[in-house]
Amino acid sequence: MSSATDVRRAVGDWADTKRRIAGLAVLAAVVLWALVGVVLPSSAVGGAFWWTLGLTADAVRIGTRESTIRAALRLSVPIGFAALGGIFAEKSGVINIGLEGLLIISAFTGVLVTDLLGPGTGWLLVPAIGPLPAIAMPSIWIGFLAAVLASTLLALLFAVVCIEFRADQIIAGLAVWLIALGLAPFASRVVYGTVNSDGVGTLGTWTVPGLSALPVVGPILFQAAPTVLMLLVAVPASWYLLNRTTFGRWVRASGENPKALDTAGVSVHRVRYAGVLLSGVLSGIGGAGLSLGHVGLFIGNGQTMVNGKGFIAITAYLFGNYNPFGAFGASVLFAGLDALQIRLQQLPAYDIPESLVQTIPFVTVIVALVLVGRTRLPAAAGEHYESGEE
Amino acid sequence: MSDPGDPGSNPGDGPDAAPAPDGGSPEGSGPPDEGWRGRLYRLATTSPLERLLISVAALVLSILVGAVIVLVSGWLATCREAALVVFDVGFCYDPIQVYTRLFLGAFGDPFAGGWGPLNFATGLTFKETTLLVFTGLSVVVAFRAGLFNIGTQGQLVFGALASAVAVLYIEPFAPAGLAGSFVLIPVALVAGAVVGGIYGAIPGALKAYADANEVITTIMLNFIAIKVAFVLTAEVFKDPNRQAVQTRPIPENARLSPVVFPDGGDFSLVALVLAVALAVGVFYLLWNTRFGFDLRTGGIQPEAATYGGVNAPRTMVAAMTLSGALGGVGGAVWVLMVHGRYVTDVPALGFDGITVSILAGNHPLGAGLAALLFGVLKSGSLQIESATAVPRQLVGVLRGLVILFVAMPEFFRMIGRRTVVPDRDRRVAATDGGRSPGATADEDGDENGFDATGPGDGTDPGDGTDPGDGTDPGDGTDPGDGTDPGDGADPADGGAPGGGRDE
Repeated sequence: MSSATDVRRAVGDWADTKRRIAGLAVLAAVVLWALVGVVLPSSAVGGAFWWTLGLTADAVRIGTRESTIRAALRLSVPIGFAALGGIFAEKSGVINIGLEGLLIISAFTGVLVTDLLGPGTGWLLVPAIGPLPAIAMPSIWIGFLAAVLASTLLALLFAVVCIEFRADQIIAGLAVWLIALGLAPFASRVVYGTVNSDGVGTLGTWTVPGLSALPVVGPILFQAAPTVLMLLVAVPASWYLLNRTTFGRWVRASGENPKALDTAGVSVHRVRYAGVLLSGVLSGIGGAGLSLGHVGLFIGNGQTMVNGKGFIAITAYLFGNYNPFGAFGASVLFAGLDALQIRLQQLPAYDIPESLVQTIPFVTVIVALVLVGRTRLPAAAGEHYESGEE
Repeated sequence: MSDPGDPGSNPGDGPDAAPAPDGGSPEGSGPPDEGWRGRLYRLATTSPLERLLISVAALVLSILVGAVIVLVSGWLATCREAALVVFDVGFCYDPIQVYTRLFLGAFGDPFAGGWGPLNFATGLTFKETTLLVFTGLSVVVAFRAGLFNIGTQGQLVFGALASAVAVLYIEPFAPAGLAGSFVLIPVALVAGAVVGGIYGAIPGALKAYADANEVITTIMLNFIAIKVAFVLTAEVFKDPNRQAVQTRPIPENARLSPVVFPDGGDFSLVALVLAVALAVGVFYLLWNTRFGFDLRTGGIQPEAATYGGVNAPRTMVAAMTLSGALGGVGGAVWVLMVHGRYVTDVPALGFDGITVSILAGNHPLGAGLAALLFGVLKSGSLQIESATAVPRQLVGVLRGLVILFVAMPEFFRMIGRRTVVPDRDRRVAATDGGRSPGATADEDGDENGFDATGPGDGTDPGDGTDPGDGTDPGDGTDPGDGTDPGDGADPADGGAPGGGRDE
């Protein structure tokens, strides 16, 4: 094994060196470009430099506006939650490529249940279950919980298929995506007659008393959609859960060295179930945050309203190297690019076709992936594990 | 562990049984990568009969689950008249009616009066089948190289646009009439192949040289392709006489016209012939050429392939280029056969190609059958919508379910073990020959690629790399597999004789 490790290290070093060389080359090219811009400002290359510089300046100016940051945070909700979920699943050893499907199913279910319970924010009494008292709750929040439940159930199906029936995780994840991609528009047509649902309103805005009075960050962070606030809580909570608790240690062990975990007497299967179900819960919040928290209806044509956010989430956590904070940062970055492009288009200087600007986040993901290179996956991710005892 | 034949079932085989799992790609992708890639591969390397049984079982199960979904949604939906009443409960949709409409409707009701084989619905079914063969083959080629090309859709989009534009550009110089067809149609196909191929090469190169996961990059490239193609069509190639964003129509003699199916359905027999020829060609390429052997070996054991003298990154790029080219040809055929111009709402043929490939066990000839099945589903979906009020999106659900069930062969094996006891144990014992006890049969299959590059591993059955080996008596049911004589003849197959391991 040691020679293999050496080889891996050597290959890794060489890859790092190559990456460094590539980085220096890019830097040199930029410097050269700037020189041309200064010396020959009227040439095509020089002009392009100043145009790019202007674009960068405008991007920074607009990007630091409060409304842009708010939009970025709002758009990062589905990506960020799905990314957190993906971390737990993958850290436990199950690659969940079906995050997109979980987002779709929860986005739709949230709207559907809210709508079936009655539009607006009528109060509904949940009958008492056992010792629990009856809870009164606006129907939109019941819809929200239903969305999380739906996503969790689909994640459970995925977990059973992967863990009990040893399905290939990538293909099963793809199936989860395709099932949701078919099921949500199908159900929408059954209920609404079209692939788009009726409008049901949104969750509104929560203001955190005290904190929202803080200068600058107060109104941005603490006077926001409930799901934005939930994300701001979920990120450090996920980090704590993953890095500072026994459960988190089990999750990491389950993905890195399941045999050791098994030897220590912890059921790898159970930990993996927990990891995948957590990804379902978190993605459910993300999906509901997209439809109920922001748009107020479900859009089901083409790739649905989720439109690749689940896949961007995967990139976000890879980009963030499985760190919840890193994944959150990447989510905000990708969502911010999206928010920025909408605003940049309104400037006459950047009258470029909308669709072209919309490709920026996707291009960024590819560039990021190339530059970050290989993120080291948990050693046993994607592998089925069967305990020796039977 | 009750069944040693299960992939990855032995806890001990993770780190040590798979030889040097790290450093898989030249940049050294981690072991888990190899893990799921190997697993993907294994999905394709179960015996052909088992493969076929699993696909059929997955299909049947999907249909059953689909029926439940139809019932439940029929119970939820509101309608004037119930289609089905069971115990006084009215259901708006009747699953049996849905499936009869789906499967019979796809062929224009063979049991109804006045039926002719060349009807509209059959044409539609074959049209979808033809298009899916191209995209299915595209995914097959990438899969065989160990790459998951989700980007066929984007490659198809660019291939389609390129072929339409190429035809429009050379139209003034081409002769009129049939002579023109012989110029324009090949040009369109080549343009589609070249552009699709280039777009496929991008994720291949990113994977080979920057180790960027191709699953992610191809998904991103799909989004980019759709948007860029839209902008190009809207800003550069737009038909000025039309409101919709589409190119000018290509001339009539560049179209693949529906000569045999005059009732419409936009199906051209020429395209189907091309599709079948390509399927056979890909099959030949993969199993009877040096390149095909390198490609498959690189897919199973990249470092073994490198050891055997294969330039793994270059093979990877070549495989993705070929995969993209096949998707691009599919796009060209879509333009030439269906719309006669590029329109921006491209159907999800590329995504369906993934389904086709997975259902076909990533076999080029199986892809033909799987494409026919999905052709039936797609064409039938229009029939159910008009005849039963069930939304045609049902077929999307079925597609997902089929993939889900195909992904879990173990489920069917468990059922199979409870009902009949197959001769798996014998097979496993035989394939396991010469391996450490910790190794699994399937890993042996993987190993085969390695052994085959080095000379003289007579004990290795060779089944891993070669789905065509005729060891299974049931092969005859799987088209092309059992009849394939190519194994032994495989020029690069070194010392690993294909069949006859447990006979």
